[in-house]
Amino acid sequence: MKVARGNDFRSGLSGIRSLDPAGWVFAAMNLVFLVCAVGLGGFLLVESVPVVRSEGLGFWLGENWWVGETFGALSMICGSLIVTGLAVSLVLPVALSGALFTSEYLAPSLRRRVKGVMELLAGVPGIIYGLLGVSFLTVGIKDVLNLLDGNTLFTAGCLLAIMILPTVLTLAEDALHSVPAEFREAAQGLGLTKLQTAWRVVLPQSLPGIAGAVLLGVGRAMGETIAVMLVIGSLDKVPGFNIFVAGQTIPSKLGREAAQALGSEQHWSALMGLGLTLFLMVAAFTFLGNIFIKRSSR
Amino acid sequence: MVEKAVLAFIGAITFLIVLLLVFILGTLLVKGLPAFHAGFLFEESRDFGLSGGIFYQAVGTLILMVTAVLWSLPVALGSVLFQTEYLSGKFKTFLTQLTYILNATPTILFGLVGYLFFGVYLGVSWVTGSLILAVMILPTLQVSIREAVEALPEKYREAGMALGLSRSSQIRRIILPQCFYGIVTGVLLGLARAAGETAAIMFTATTFSGIQLPQSFSDPVPTLQTHILVLAQEAANPQSLAQAWGAGLVLLGLVLMLTLTAWAFRTRVVMESEQ
Amino acid sequence: MGRYKKVWIGLVFFLITGWGLVSETVAGSRVQIVGSTTVLPVASRSAQKFMASSKVRILVNAGGSGVGIHSVAQGRADIGMASRGISPDEKKRFKKSRLKTHSVGLDAVACVVSTEIYQAGVRHLTPTQIAGIYMGKIRNWKEVGGPDRQIVVIDKERHRGTRHAFMQYVFGNATQRTPGTLLVTGSNNEEQAKIAQSDSAIGMLSFAWINEDVKAVSLGSKGKEFLPTWEAVRQGRYPIVRKLNFVTAGEPEGEVKAFIDFVKGSEGQKIVAESGYIPVDDEIFQP
Repeated sequence: MKVARGNDFRSGLSGIRSLDPAGWVFAAMNLVFLVCAVGLGGFLLVESVPVVRSEGLGFWLGENWWVGETFGALSMICGSLIVTGLAVSLVLPVALSGALFTSEYLAPSLRRRVKGVMELLAGVPGIIYGLLGVSFLTVGIKDVLNLLDGNTLFTAGCLLAIMILPTVLTLAEDALHSVPAEFREAAQGLGLTKLQTAWRVVLPQSLPGIAGAVLLGVGRAMGETIAVMLVIGSLDKVPGFNIFVAGQTIPSKLGREAAQALGSEQHWSALMGLGLTLFLMVAAFTFLGNIFIKRSSR
Repeated sequence: MVEKAVLAFIGAITFLIVLLLVFILGTLLVKGLPAFHAGFLFEESRDFGLSGGIFYQAVGTLILMVTAVLWSLPVALGSVLFQTEYLSGKFKTFLTQLTYILNATPTILFGLVGYLFFGVYLGVSWVTGSLILAVMILPTLQVSIREAVEALPEKYREAGMALGLSRSSQIRRIILPQCFYGIVTGVLLGLARAAGETAAIMFTATTFSGIQLPQSFSDPVPTLQTHILVLAQEAANPQSLAQAWGAGLVLLGLVLMLTLTAWAFRTRVVMESEQ
Repeated sequence: MGRYKKVWIGLVFFLITGWGLVSETVAGSRVQIVGSTTVLPVASRSAQKFMASSKVRILVNAGGSGVGIHSVAQGRADIGMASRGISPDEKKRFKKSRLKTHSVGLDAVACVVSTEIYQAGVRHLTPTQIAGIYMGKIRNWKEVGGPDRQIVVIDKERHRGTRHAFMQYVFGNATQRTPGTLLVTGSNNEEQAKIAQSDSAIGMLSFAWINEDVKAVSLGSKGKEFLPTWEAVRQGRYPIVRKLNFVTAGEPEGEVKAFIDFVKGSEGQKIVAESGYIPVDDEIFQP
């Protein structure tokens, strides 16, 4: 009979303790998990090689995407950045206001309810947002802004803003709320009003956590496929400064062409290259976001 | 004075945000209920989805999400237990980071790589779809299970040690039963996430017409999500939109039900760990 | 390991029964059809009728003509639906698959505009005008006899059969690049929806998809303009006519052959007509 684990164990970097039979099973399961996680990035990398070899840097810098001739991802990359940037700029003031109010002014029971609503909203499937987008947003934006057509980068940005609002709000609220009470008491002891406290003391203290919330929201917005695909217009063109035209993001391109590319070497590799680019972009933002959030909870 | 105005302003914004959920739910209800004629839930779809019901689509969605959790649960459970009971230090942190990265990965990528990994061998089928979804919801399950395991008070493990139990016995008799609710929470959240996923399965698991119930591992399935997608692309046709709303209502109802049930279980997890 | 054992045993059992089912039922009982959204209604409706008296399961998927041809050539589908012929490039690439084309109907491709534009007086467009619009040289409807409104140029994905036929007529080049495009759509449904939602759009559609919200303009040179109607197609006067095809790799056999014969037979052709297309026997013109 093996001795149960104790707290006197030290094993340097790997930190693995001796395994009993059950442990082998668990280790195997962990290996499966490891393979899945690493395999995802690995496959993307390996499958992208053909297209990068044939296009070189032009893959990321080229604007033209003609299947069978040339693959340039610039339009999609720009589209992704513009749409995400738009979503974040729309979300930030709204989410911050909501987070501030919820954290500093709401009674605990109400606060719990609001957070509950946010969590529910965060779980609404993307296709539902897509449905709302094609039936209300495209037509609405077209009418209100007197545009030629409602399927634009701007529309996608708005839709994404609504989608990531719950997530950003709830995480930002966590950051605000976790500022210790002493800070607020000290501030009010100095004569600051509640609003001044919130604005000048609580907010600056929780900036890392809020930054983390925003970065995670960015990650989510950048990766959304279905909702964007339906409202963005699918036009592979670098948009310049006009965001009220149709465009394309990486996920919406992938969503539209994945079925086409099955079995076609070059086309598939190009899509994988797009996927790799997206993966790296999202991973970078998410990684940063997690660091900020961890830092704020210390 | 300014203070009151600002307060009112951000209060109003908060209120409107909450209203967003009401709006979404309300729209789905108002637009979706008309599609709910007597047999909507139990009829098959006719006329390319323009009339009839969504029975086989709903079944397809259920098949995918349940089998996804079936594949995912053992892996999630085993990997979390391995990490919490047998590991410490940098490797453990690395694995935790991996979970977060996997969680944040755009779901369309699961579809793309999943096709290479599974689809090339198993074809476009519900098995491929459920395997892909299983990988996708792995982090969701892991997070819930880890929360439960780590929330377990030390005294339980100490009691086990005092009794001289081996690690596997400890896990089996003490940790797992106490974490039961955490595991259930994870499963329910995983189900909810799998139910709503469209991008990962739309070219790896589904078909437009011809299949009602899959008869073998290599058959594709119809799903609610892709059904809505096809109908949404005919946005100018009020009839197809009405059907889309109806299907959307069913899908959202399913997701909400699962999420709310998960919360009920999560409260019990919190209660247990506070004892 | 008590709890674990049950899970593992369950899984193994599951897998075994599963693979048993696979090996039993997968052989020969499924026909996979992929491709053009123009041909899809015909295939789907025929499949429904066919399956009523046969044990075969016929799965139909969209994706576009290019995807259809591709899938058949690579063995991922039994029948590819294409609303165009196989292009020379595809013939070269898939020489080994010995692709065969089976025509099941005829279709006309219409140049469509939003109803508001049609009612404002735009009833006819020449190829030169359409080319100008799609290249971005003509941007306002008033330049072609319509109201003072910017043109919403709606295009289709490049591999789509409908686009091939349309571009071949307008530019003489089936895969023409069109810088004037404002919006890109995929299936016929989507294109129709986007044109209907706009009030100053132009696009290309199979004529079976025309309804009150999208109107076809007549095509042809001055004095010889024709709307896409059955008569115009039969008389060979409408300029954009194409065959709706089922494509197979080599000669079709068994269930696949039975289904194709069904669609080409009287019942299938009735479905073709009901779907808004022209039965293949009606052809009088030379493609």
